[in-house]
Amino acid sequence: MKRRDFLKVCLAGGATATMGGLCGKAWGSSSFEGYPDGMGVLVDTTRCIGCRSCEAACNKEQKMPVPEVPFDNTSVFDETRRTDENALTVVNRYPSKESGPVYRKQQCNHCNEPACLTSCFVNAYTKTKEGAVIYNSKVCVGCRNCMIACPFNMPGYSYSSAFNPVVKKCIFCYDTRLKYGKPPACVDICPQEALTFGHRKDLLKLAHERIRETPDRYYDHVYGEKEVGGTSWLYISNISPDQLGMDNTLGNEPIISNVKDFLGTVPMVLTIWPALFTGIHLLATRNKDHHDDHANHSGQEDDQP
Amino acid sequence: MSAQRLRFAVMVVATMLALTPGSALSLSVPDTLPLNSQGKLYESFQFDHARHIKLTRECSGCHHHTAGTLVEDPNCIRCHRNSGENKVVRCRGCHLADPFSAASLREKNSNPNMYHLDKPGLKGAMHQNCIGCHKKVAKAPIGCTECHKRKKAGDAFYSAGNFAPRGKPGKDEH
Amino acid sequence: MKTIIAQGMKTVDSMEKSEGKKWTLTEKLLLGLPLPYYIGQALRNPFNWFLALVFAIGIPLILGRFAFGLSWVTHSSNDYPWGLFLGFGLFAMVPLSSSGFQMGTACELFGRHDLEPLERLGLLNGLLGYFFAVVYLLVDLGQPWRLPYPMMVSFGPAAVLFLVAWHVATYLSVQIAEVSASFFEWIGFLPGKKAIRKITLGLTVAGIILSTLHQGALGALFTYAPGKVHPLWYSASFQWLYFFVSSLPGGLCMVITVSTIASRTMFWRCDERFARNLDKVTVSLAKGAAMGLATYLTIKLIGVAHDNKWSYLATGWGAWYLFEIGLGVVLPLTLFTMAIRNNMMKLIRLSAILTVFGVVLNRVNTAIITFNWKLPHREIPHWRELIVSLTIFCIYIAVYRFILYRLPILYQWKGVEEPAAALVPATAAEHVHAGGKHIGEALPAATYCTSAAQEAEEY
Repeated sequence: MKRRDFLKVCLAGGATATMGGLCGKAWGSSSFEGYPDGMGVLVDTTRCIGCRSCEAACNKEQKMPVPEVPFDNTSVFDETRRTDENALTVVNRYPSKESGPVYRKQQCNHCNEPACLTSCFVNAYTKTKEGAVIYNSKVCVGCRNCMIACPFNMPGYSYSSAFNPVVKKCIFCYDTRLKYGKPPACVDICPQEALTFGHRKDLLKLAHERIRETPDRYYDHVYGEKEVGGTSWLYISNISPDQLGMDNTLGNEPIISNVKDFLGTVPMVLTIWPALFTGIHLLATRNKDHHDDHANHSGQEDDQP
Repeated sequence: MSAQRLRFAVMVVATMLALTPGSALSLSVPDTLPLNSQGKLYESFQFDHARHIKLTRECSGCHHHTAGTLVEDPNCIRCHRNSGENKVVRCRGCHLADPFSAASLREKNSNPNMYHLDKPGLKGAMHQNCIGCHKKVAKAPIGCTECHKRKKAGDAFYSAGNFAPRGKPGKDEH
Repeated sequence: MKTIIAQGMKTVDSMEKSEGKKWTLTEKLLLGLPLPYYIGQALRNPFNWFLALVFAIGIPLILGRFAFGLSWVTHSSNDYPWGLFLGFGLFAMVPLSSSGFQMGTACELFGRHDLEPLERLGLLNGLLGYFFAVVYLLVDLGQPWRLPYPMMVSFGPAAVLFLVAWHVATYLSVQIAEVSASFFEWIGFLPGKKAIRKITLGLTVAGIILSTLHQGALGALFTYAPGKVHPLWYSASFQWLYFFVSSLPGGLCMVITVSTIASRTMFWRCDERFARNLDKVTVSLAKGAAMGLATYLTIKLIGVAHDNKWSYLATGWGAWYLFEIGLGVVLPLTLFTMAIRNNMMKLIRLSAILTVFGVVLNRVNTAIITFNWKLPHREIPHWRELIVSLTIFCIYIAVYRFILYRLPILYQWKGVEEPAAALVPATAAEHVHAGGKHIGEALPAATYCTSAAQEAEEY
């Protein structure tokens, strides 16, 4: 009887271990610095004048609905906005004692190791070799774990849709432009060329060179170079990032590093637990015929040895 | 005249010639220039070149080191200390209309002798140049529509003007 | 029900109604009462009036959520994507439902057959908790009809949620199988029950494997947002352990709480074995819960020390943390220790309720209250979200009660492996005396109308 039980347990354990093999495959990579040909955009806030042409261009390119307020309206800067289902990018104005107000565009930063991609259990996100992090709305279940995971709080969700709500975030104009080697709509339209498009590797060099050549103009930090494993959208500005609403406590580890330890434990538990608990069972029920102890028939059992 | 007086006269004339803006010399410097003639969202407009010459009195303020007296930006004189004026001084001569095309990106990536990798495109260069200076000068236009009016396509693009969402007219600040 | 039974009505506790005649399914569903009696006692029950009120408001809201989308029942927050449905419905109910694997493991694997009188209650508690956690999930998901996607359509195996999805699906099957033993007894299909008993060991081991991982995985979900949960509630290395270890006392105390409520409100349904053993088993469960709480307290302190977060305790959030630990862990632990030693049943039960509250508070704190602690605004749920959450919880209670009234959970089904077992006394009064003075109160004189002193009873 005991051997049969043991074999049953192994079968059950084996079945769950197979499923477990599907879970928790966290490959420990040293660090991924982006695909070699990955593109990026350098955002230079010292050039931005807050004209919001980028918002208008994005709206048209991605066929978003007509906004509530025209794009040349600057009263929107009176409050800090965030991206949502109707705006994949927004520009906010931040005060600065040194230079007067500074404008910063925000959108999905297309991280090298995106947290959204890491957290998606239906694999709805893909990091393309061009560097864009794109989204497949056809498999999305709407769990919104990606919104929880994004350290920049960028994805929005179309809560207003009853039958096809999806995540809304900047896709680097992948389908219409990046795939063909063209810069995204916002970069194209920017009159001040506050947005510079190019290979991420080159943009990093460019950013550091700008800072080096005009050190009085810039705060010496390229945001996105290392943060959360590096992002494709990089920022330089005349004031520190935290004054522009950017989180400077993120650290350089990609989000997946936090999760890897647990994911690594999973197959261990799946393998060790069956033997461990069957062993305890055998020890605990030694010399007892297990089935006599069950009192599912008549009345008065209960404190049998 | 004595030799001394002749030398003095020549110096005066030479100085006057040196100080005289190009329009007084026989260079073809236009008084007005049409800008943004290719614009899809904004109308083209006439740039008052003569007025800017009178206001700035210094070509290199806009044309870098390609015209006028030598610029003092340390990043430029590193190499251009002895550069003279260029034959081509218009912006379009150096600044590309499409700075992010695959071809120009490839060029920047592969040509090791190319120094000016951070050269803005034509649109960026003009706006940075104009607005950059206008910000420091009182009463100079810095709003978008203060220099060039929007076309109908532009109104549609910005969801402004006649295309503004109903009930909320655009506050035309630019 | 109490009064009806006091008048001599026989409860359904075996296949046989009377000599040679079997209960029909309809009769079993109506608790062996004629229909007018059944409806009558249902209408007299004040708790049902409360349920009716909640359902009248809440069920249209639930339908509205599906007709109009999530924006109708939530504030459509992009900064706070998870609200009460997940923060309370899923994250709080799952640890309280860990009683399934705990009681199963204790009885079947560790041989603690003395806990068997409450084992089925523990299993049912587990099943219903997980089932309704999935109901809450379906209400929260943007596209709930795509729930099977991670299982069939598109796999994201590196995601913790993938593990949660697979495990919860598998574990629900395990739990359904475990509870089906009582179901098969009730409908009289004994071969089904025999088949389940044969694989019980396998089911139990599978249960504990799956539960360890997904209880921990729910905690690991927050490691995706390391900066967003307040440091006192967050641990980069131990988040999954916090959730797993706290689920142990949570589940056991939930069984204590539910058995307390059941023994007071539906004592007629509890059989002699249950009544006699309830206190003893409660003490055993309390011992387990106390150990769990002590362990949990220690690992929380280790977590704070590990990342040197002591300075946070001096802040406002720190005070809230100390409140949660104090009321939900330290106080029940102290009370348990005292009460177990001195066999003070009321104190044990109070501690159990405090522990349940502590676990719920911890989950709601981690998922909602301290989430985005760095952002300037706190999110207060939409009123519709509150009502929908309450409604689903009431449906859970109603289903729980429905099953407890009928299936052999609180009582044993007679004549299962032996024919025509001895009949149990028909009056409930004898049950009260057998159970001892701790449980419930003496029955009032038989009357048709419920008095105001009666607590919420039955349909």
